Amino acid sequence: MRRAGVAVVAAVVALVLAAGALVFAQSRPAPPEELPVAGTQLGEFPDGPMKAVADQACLRCHSTDMIRQQRLTEKQWTAELTKMAGWGAVVPEDQKAALIAYFVEHFGPDNDRFQPVVARPAP
Amino acid sequence: MSEGLNRRQLLAAAAATAMTAVAAGVPTPDVRRRLLQMNGYPLDAETPLDLLTTYLTPNDLFFVRHHWNPTFPDASTWRLTVDGEVERPLSLSLSDLKAMPRASATCVLQCAGNGRSLHRPIVPGVQWKYGAVGNAKWTGVRVRDVLEKAGLKAGARHLHTFGTDKPPEKVPPFHRSVELDKIREDGVIAFEMNGEPLPQAHGGPARLVVPGWAGDHWMKWLDRISPQAAPQTGFYMDTAYRYPKTPGEPGVAFKPDEMTPVTELFVKSNITESPAAARVGKAATIRGFAFSGAPDVAKVEVTDDGGATWSPATLGKDHDPHAWRLWSFAYTPKNSGRVTLHARATDSRGSVQPKNAVWNQSGYLYNAWPSADVEVSA
Repeated sequence: MRRAGVAVVAAVVALVLAAGALVFAQSRPAPPEELPVAGTQLGEFPDGPMKAVADQACLRCHSTDMIRQQRLTEKQWTAELTKMAGWGAVVPEDQKAALIAYFVEHFGPDNDRFQPVVARPAP
Repeated sequence: MSEGLNRRQLLAAAAATAMTAVAAGVPTPDVRRRLLQMNGYPLDAETPLDLLTTYLTPNDLFFVRHHWNPTFPDASTWRLTVDGEVERPLSLSLSDLKAMPRASATCVLQCAGNGRSLHRPIVPGVQWKYGAVGNAKWTGVRVRDVLEKAGLKAGARHLHTFGTDKPPEKVPPFHRSVELDKIREDGVIAFEMNGEPLPQAHGGPARLVVPGWAGDHWMKWLDRISPQAAPQTGFYMDTAYRYPKTPGEPGVAFKPDEMTPVTELFVKSNITESPAAARVGKAATIRGFAFSGAPDVAKVEVTDDGGATWSPATLGKDHDPHAWRLWSFAYTPKNSGRVTLHARATDSRGSVQPKNAVWNQSGYLYNAWPSADVEVSA
């Protein structure tokens, strides 16, 4: 009785393995479904009075990632903001200094919070 | 080596896929099949190093770099305009190109800014680490065949190149040029990547392939080529994609006349596989890839003493001009303790990968020795 049970279990295991091997051979491994598809925008700017200004200035052309991954000094942020304003980023003149300060505070040289989004390759 | 997939994400992905697999009766999918997304839009994503272990990089795992949100051309109505210094301006459809003699180039495509985040002091831009690089077989037609068909005039020296992606707001257009001598030598207008139609994310229906040169020359969604006497001008020629003629002080920005356009890739190796732990006297396998703007890689070496002594790695048998070489090295530790391994490549022209990369304010062409730490026990 016990030996028969072991044999049945062994046969079932063998069948499952064989079926699995067949499926595996015919299809390449599928990417995990729960990762976001590449191209998904996830992160937001940090809360604060400057969030809305940053949203308006930056997000027409690129996601927050482009800002959040930077680790720049005040001098570098000033140069970047000047370049982007020239390229069409809308920043009210009386908000520029505060926006630079906001970027330096959150995305200064010691910014180590940004992690790339682990994403599924786009279909 | 498993950078980019943190423990929580890995466990969540593994658990969920295991449950799905049990329910469906299929093997657990490869949860490592992933990209590291640097920007949601426009999409920028690099390949994790542990997936860059094959001679040809699969299309869906190949890094993606968009300057801005592209409008993908419709392959059925797409045309390639050939004008400028030619006898017979042309307008070619994809079918016209496919009717011409085929040409393939298996070679490395690397973003000029790959490794930017590793420069010190820190510079602005997409903070790529290691994986804005891949090796693929690009198939299409030779640029020189298209230019001959159009009747290239003698005075032309530079091929101006244009794509269909249009910048937002007041951002300058991505207009570029490549030296005609280079592009006539081995340039390809590719409509296939690794045997499949060139994916839109990689410039489909057709892009320029410039073997051995950085990605900024490889115009995606190519819709016009125009031979001219003078190089292209504009932001993406005169300001961006320029590199110092000679090294300077890290952190001190170079002036425009101290820089020259980025062209050839620099000799570079990377480590893709290395054990976290090893034992004295037991061989452990280290793997990686190496490439250069020179046609081939001559050797890759590994050191465990900071470069005092080097041992040769074994190069993979696959190679093509400007493609990467896979390499492997059997490392047998002599002493216990924490060891830092470094690799360096030497190309077929004798250029040796440097210990430190040349700092530049745009963060281009980072190629310092890669490293891997190994904990050696007795």
